[in-house]
Amino acid sequence: MKLYVNLRYLIVPISSLITLFGIFLGGIYAWIGVILFGIYTIIDTVTKDIHLRAETDDDGNSFGIKQFQYLVMYFMLPVFITLQLALAWRIFQYVDSSIIESAYFAGFAYESGINTTNLIGASLSAALWAGLGIIYGHELSHNKKEGFLVSRLIMALSGASHFTYAHVYNHHLDLGHQDDPATAPRGRNVYWHTWLSHIGQSKFSFDMEKKKLGKQNKSFLSFDNRWILGYVYSLPSIILFVWAGGLIGLLALAAVWVIANFLLEALNFMGHYGLIREEGKPVEHRHSWDNDSVFTSWFFIEIGRQCDHHVRGETYFWELDDVGGPNYGIGYFSLFVLTLVPPLFRSYVKKHLDNWDQNYATDAEKVIAKQFENKNLIAQVAS
Amino acid sequence: MFGLFTKKNKDFIASVNENSFEVKVIKGKTLLSSALDQGIDWPHRCKVGSCGSCKCKIISGKIKPQIDFAYVLDQEELDAGYVLACQSELKSDIEVEVIFKNKQE
Ligand code: FES
Repeated sequence: MKLYVNLRYLIVPISSLITLFGIFLGGIYAWIGVILFGIYTIIDTVTKDIHLRAETDDDGNSFGIKQFQYLVMYFMLPVFITLQLALAWRIFQYVDSSIIESAYFAGFAYESGINTTNLIGASLSAALWAGLGIIYGHELSHNKKEGFLVSRLIMALSGASHFTYAHVYNHHLDLGHQDDPATAPRGRNVYWHTWLSHIGQSKFSFDMEKKKLGKQNKSFLSFDNRWILGYVYSLPSIILFVWAGGLIGLLALAAVWVIANFLLEALNFMGHYGLIREEGKPVEHRHSWDNDSVFTSWFFIEIGRQCDHHVRGETYFWELDDVGGPNYGIGYFSLFVLTLVPPLFRSYVKKHLDNWDQNYATDAEKVIAKQFENKNLIAQVAS
Repeated sequence: MFGLFTKKNKDFIASVNENSFEVKVIKGKTLLSSALDQGIDWPHRCKVGSCGSCKCKIISGKIKPQIDFAYVLDQEELDAGYVLACQSELKSDIEVEVIFKNKQE
């Protein structure tokens, strides 16, 4: 049981390594990261009705092995760095117009040089799997000490190092309220949410540093400014891609960052869309959506158990459980596909929101929900 | 490396409000989570170091902060020895003061 509980969370590490290997092999294999993403969407959809509880021994202790899970999470930082290095190498070959031919490295046959189509595949593959670094960046943001720095560095690879601070100090405190940029109000679509949430969280981190440094009588332009430092952590990626491919390199990195941040914000979007909390009231299970079908749970290292996570923020992912909170009933992959088509998402989520209003919301939350409904109706009539 | 393989297993005692009661804090656990595990109604809200509700004043002894408290506590509070219980492990036995909403037995 112990082995199974710990090994089941290795889907992303193994898939990231396969993606990395695909970019190294080149040719059509550069697309493997995209193909895996597609396969996993199908698996997640097919297994949507299987939901498991957290497994514990007779004394209620989790089977998760902290040292092992931490080792895996720390290991993912060099994996994500190598993924960027591999993509930069391919961009360098492309810009350099290297001849496309078979070559060998340590006994492995790979394709040296890359054409435009396969470079797009490599970029998309790297972006999707680097974007999934959020699951480790998120978990480690809550487990301070060295883990916090590893979280910052993983997020910096996607230009989103501010997330680590904003997630803890803003999202966890202001969840379900308009002060939380990561909570999407009813009627907003995932595309608009991505920009608003990203910029909002970065601004929060900026303001927080300004306030802290002010209290300490330090200049905003200081090495102690962690908002600035977060962007400094992203500089090596920019330098690498500009060096590898100039403008094309920069465009590829921009694509990686946009896709990675889109995935990050889509997770925020799905986790709290339309849920409401009265200002000053405690965060409770009803202020998050759970997505805990089996594949989502294992793949996203239980990040979908949002209801429990937001009440027990200090709890390791392998200890999180179903707490009977609002649940979409489908996994993140399936729901993500729906979010890509906003009218489809809104019509799917309507019955869940109605259920939330009727069975979970307090009277005060119902009043706020009604205000949103009226606002959206006015917006629809006006357009 | 990264404390992953550290074997040391030292527990410490937090003596609360002039020894009204004690909290046993095992290695790797925070003061707040230990207090809650022992059924003490220690004030708290977010448990992730962002709200400040769990703040308490260290009278003696050493703690290991898990985050920079300066985002939540004022400089005067920091100078006076205030910490966030949800983000503090212990490095020694401590004496601590905390204001409870409901009086602890
Ligand atoms: S419980 Fe919120 S800062 Fe400790």
